[in-house]
Amino acid sequence: MLELVGVRHRYDGRVVLDIERFTVAPGSGVAIVGPNGSGKSTLLRLLALLERPSEGEVRLDGVVVAGAKAPSAGPAARRRITLVEQRPVLLRGSVRENLEFGLQVRGIRRTDVNRRVASVAARLGITPLLQRRRHELSDGEVQRVAVARALAIEPDVLLLDEPASSADRAAAQTLYRALTEERARRPLAVCLASHQLEDAYRWADDVRALAEGRLSPVTPENLFRVDLPSSGSGELKHVCVGTIEIAAATDKTGPAILAVPPTDIFVSREPLASSARNVFTGRVTRLTHQRPGAVQVTADVGVELVAVVTEEAARDLGLTPGGPVVFSFKASAVRVF
Amino acid sequence: MDFLGEGLRRAVALLLSGDVEVYGIALLTLKIGLIATVFACGLGIPVGFVLATRPFWGRRAALTVVNTALAFPTVVVGLLLYGLLSRRGPLGGVAWLYTWQAIVVGDIVLALPIAAALAAAAVQGVDPRIRRTAETLGAGRWRTAWTVAREARFALAAVITTAFGHIVAEIGSAMTVGGNIRGQTRTLTTAVALYTSQGDFGLALALGLILLLLALLVNVALQALQGRGHA
Repeated sequence: MLELVGVRHRYDGRVVLDIERFTVAPGSGVAIVGPNGSGKSTLLRLLALLERPSEGEVRLDGVVVAGAKAPSAGPAARRRITLVEQRPVLLRGSVRENLEFGLQVRGIRRTDVNRRVASVAARLGITPLLQRRRHELSDGEVQRVAVARALAIEPDVLLLDEPASSADRAAAQTLYRALTEERARRPLAVCLASHQLEDAYRWADDVRALAEGRLSPVTPENLFRVDLPSSGSGELKHVCVGTIEIAAATDKTGPAILAVPPTDIFVSREPLASSARNVFTGRVTRLTHQRPGAVQVTADVGVELVAVVTEEAARDLGLTPGGPVVFSFKASAVRVF
Repeated sequence: MDFLGEGLRRAVALLLSGDVEVYGIALLTLKIGLIATVFACGLGIPVGFVLATRPFWGRRAALTVVNTALAFPTVVVGLLLYGLLSRRGPLGGVAWLYTWQAIVVGDIVLALPIAAALAAAAVQGVDPRIRRTAETLGAGRWRTAWTVAREARFALAAVITTAFGHIVAEIGSAMTVGGNIRGQTRTLTTAVALYTSQGDFGLALALGLILLLLALLVNVALQALQGRGHA
């Protein structure tokens, strides 16, 4: 088990991460979601033992392997964990040499190295790239090679920072399929950071939200586990969520995750004459300054929904806790996965 | 122009005739240059790596010291070394004053900060993700350093070239602690200074040309070692 305990991490005196406890259990799938700059990459670098926390400690199977008062982690601990960065780099040499690197530093026999490289290259669909060098690859190909390089060493914990950010749809599917196969093949804990909720929910047994370096006590906004009905007019379905019915444009049926991006919700004082299929009246429960210039409006409209508006809009609308508010959003804005 | 042309003709003639004194001076300079470069870079490049990659208390001060040492006047280094190696000095017992070994020591002292400062800059210029990638793939300290060095190979080759160039071109320390003794401690630079002051411009020019040739050869050899420049 890999865990951060009482970690406060600073860059130039500024606290960028403040986490009481974060655990990645053996074989688990954990997703960390949060906007850019929320601390996801820093969290992964600490988990990967590439940085030592300014305060607190990192434990592996209960043993402190990095900490403010502990020496830097040695290669033995680091060899059980590996990180694929958001914009990974390939080392000098061919793709094959990159895949071999981690195996060579572990002193693995040549025949096993060849077998593992061939296997992982086939799974990630990069066999034709093996003789190429880094300047001959696209960003998406580099990302796939980096994931293959990480899988080749068969770590106990694989940390992925936005692993499909440069991949097209097909490449992303190949990548996720390879990860699924790997997890089915052997106990592998995957901890994935993403700002895309689809990625997170496709993957994770456990989704954790990170905002401004702190773990959020609730899961990301406006996410609901639902049961999609088989009936409906065309692709428009009315889904019961709490005491309200949300109209969603989807052809899916059965259990699913329904998400309403906070930035897709129109906020007003009165119902608007518009094409929005979802119009809910309620009361503001909370106003939070999310980042400079943006206000997070939480309202009880039968369920708790969160919208994001500019500070100017919040002021113009006269939004106050307890005050009336109307949330509107289109059926096509509802994400189902 | 006649004066220069005549000097050049004399230089070529001396080089082609295989003059024992000229080639003896050149070989001694090459020997001193290579030994001092090996020691200065062998110590300075790892120091540069540490300065660039390891956070430790006083690192900024250490970098300042190293950068300041870049501007050390060679004659002052020679003077300090003279004090240490002279018969009454703390290192007088080794009896190295006016030997080629003393010149090597002076050259190491002068070139070490160059190697350290330039190596630190070279390593700092490598994408930090390279080091993190090597580490996260399980590489230990030495393998990680080697991986980073491979990425900085052109800059590190320039460090070695610069250190060698500085060493063979240096005169202040070599003159002070070597004494410019014929057949023993006379290097190309001290000989050029001597023969120019004696009015033997042709010989001085011949030695100057050899000095340029040495620098050129070292550059070519290093470029060949770097191999083809692909990633």
